[in-house]
Amino acid sequence: MKSREQEYREIYMAEALEAYDAMSRHISELERNPQDQDALNELFRLMHNLKSNSRAMGFNSIGEVAHHMETIFGLIRSKEKEFSGSLATVLFTGVDTIGAMIRAVGDDQDLPESTALLDNLDRLVRGEEPVLDGETADEDANRKLELSDLVYIQIKKLDHLLNLVGELIIDRDRILTLSQEIGNSALQSAAAHLFRITDELQYSVMDARLVNVGTLLNKFPRVVRDVASAEQKQVELTLSGQDIQIDRNILQIITDALLHLVRNAVSHGFETPAEREKAGKPVQGQLVLSAQTERDDVLIQVTDDGRGIDVESVRRKAVERGLVSKEAARLLDDSAVRAFLFEPGFSMAKEVTEISGRGVGLDVVKLAIDSLGGQLRVESVLGEGTTFTLVLPTSIAVKGALLFELDERSYAIPLMHTDSVVSLWPDDLHVVGGLLMAEVQGENVPVVSLRRLLHNGDGPLPPATRAEVVGRQDIIIVNYNNRKLGLIVDRFLRQQNIVIKPMSKPLDIIELFGGVTLLGSGQVCLVLDVPALTRLFLARRL
Amino acid sequence: MADAEPTVDKKNKPDTIIQLIVFRLGEEEYGLRIEQVKEVTVTPEIARMPKTPPFVKGIANLRGDIIAIIDLEERFRLRPANEELPALSYTLAIEAKDYTIGIVVREVPQPLSVPVSIIEKAPEFIQDININDKYIEGIAKIDGRIIIVLDMLKLLTPTEIMQLQPR
Repeated sequence: MKSREQEYREIYMAEALEAYDAMSRHISELERNPQDQDALNELFRLMHNLKSNSRAMGFNSIGEVAHHMETIFGLIRSKEKEFSGSLATVLFTGVDTIGAMIRAVGDDQDLPESTALLDNLDRLVRGEEPVLDGETADEDANRKLELSDLVYIQIKKLDHLLNLVGELIIDRDRILTLSQEIGNSALQSAAAHLFRITDELQYSVMDARLVNVGTLLNKFPRVVRDVASAEQKQVELTLSGQDIQIDRNILQIITDALLHLVRNAVSHGFETPAEREKAGKPVQGQLVLSAQTERDDVLIQVTDDGRGIDVESVRRKAVERGLVSKEAARLLDDSAVRAFLFEPGFSMAKEVTEISGRGVGLDVVKLAIDSLGGQLRVESVLGEGTTFTLVLPTSIAVKGALLFELDERSYAIPLMHTDSVVSLWPDDLHVVGGLLMAEVQGENVPVVSLRRLLHNGDGPLPPATRAEVVGRQDIIIVNYNNRKLGLIVDRFLRQQNIVIKPMSKPLDIIELFGGVTLLGSGQVCLVLDVPALTRLFLARRL
Repeated sequence: MADAEPTVDKKNKPDTIIQLIVFRLGEEEYGLRIEQVKEVTVTPEIARMPKTPPFVKGIANLRGDIIAIIDLEERFRLRPANEELPALSYTLAIEAKDYTIGIVVREVPQPLSVPVSIIEKAPEFIQDININDKYIEGIAKIDGRIIIVLDMLKLLTPTEIMQLQPR
């Protein structure tokens, strides 16, 4: 694999060559029509960008030429100079020199000399006549045409490619199953080969869609600076893990969520400098934006050392808003209480916002993460700070899922939301307040028959009784927003990577299903959406 | 399809022949313009979908497309409540505005060519039956048969289909 530096250099080269092509085009337009403002503005912009990019990459001599050219174009734009005569000749030479310099970077050669050109550009600025040596005319004759090694591609085309690969994988699984049923060995080996090829194809397409998290994180120093100065806070931002890679569309979807979390942290999370001093903290707050990989997931964390979340006021508010009974609220641990912050509408509670400084629109952040099948966690110590963690899949194409059977049909639940699977006997289940409860890994988890939850309308669930539970029960413990729920299913099937197709219209308004997948047998398998399922349970419990 | 546009106002012009796909629902014959029908197939295996109205039979895999299958007999109560669909039925894949949907019928649908002029606007009596007249493009009378021509695009808007329990 190429080094990061190599990759940056290739990207620089591609952009610089493209800029050079555009410069050549625009300067010709300008020659034809010296009043062409669009061409002039574009040239000014291209020079400016090339200058910054070149300097950032350490190609200072290219930056220098671009800087001088930018100055002249600026003067033409402000009508102090006119694009004609010897000035035009020098500018053409300038564009050609830039092209030669960029090519030299690409070929790893020494950059051509540009002193004469820079002198001429300086003379033009001073209003003197440039020194032309007449050689420039030859330039055209031995000009080489260059094509870039990189292609720009619309993300739409990559999306299409990924969808096709998804379809291909579904068909491949079907063919593999059929070949085993038919039992022809030539067919089986062809199917096995197809399997490997499509696997590789899938990873290649997924790889082509990966971008550095840094492309998003690097936009935040500016955001933090602006918000901090507006709020009169002092904040130092530290970035890490910029080179972690993630699917471009996932990054796109979390952009607003991350922006929201960072703004929130700066404007509400941190105390004012005076408050910090009083609390014995350094006046300057520390904000850390970090990315890391954990197994197949990417973790993005926003950590502040601000005032933290006041769990007790959140608990009070949750009871006031009727999200939980007073007795139940007392028993909830801190993380379960903090999970209320992500409840839709909870953010509207002004008091909480003022006391804890949290909660504005966190449900929106949550929804964005849910739509990716990701998780949003929050940890906080009052007075010491808060960390939001976004757990995101690296890629959107394939998801690990648990397959199970209910009423002789297969269903899938994404592993992202599956805590564990247990098989329990009736003795392990207890009825508390009309709900079945089970102790799973030292925790009391409500358990519900998935069949009952899915059917029998939208009214409250009938109270559970021990009598209805007969024999061994296969239970999937799902976890959403720190809320665990056990689902009784007929039978566990297996764990499998599935390609989720979005639910087709008009059924897409049923939020209970995150999509469908086709199994190797050709059977349609519904993929349950755990967030919606949890909401349904909360709405239907007594 | 501009030349096959409806209907009444073209009465005086030379007759355009249109093709209908004719199928039976309950005791009546219904027709659809052939351009609205993507394909006719033996009903594939249907996965029942919880939280949908009963006339939504579920979803099925039609050559890699996952489509919803609906039962218009049940939707419009054209069949006694206790009677089920036969084991072997047919599905018309209909191209609605931006998606495809399947309509399950009990007998093999048949194509039929009719002149546009014989399609008449639905008379009053049609309101006696359960199909709301706004879905009906007209009535075709041919060789003693009466065929109710449906306007699928109106019938198959998502809100029409999902009007019950949008959850």
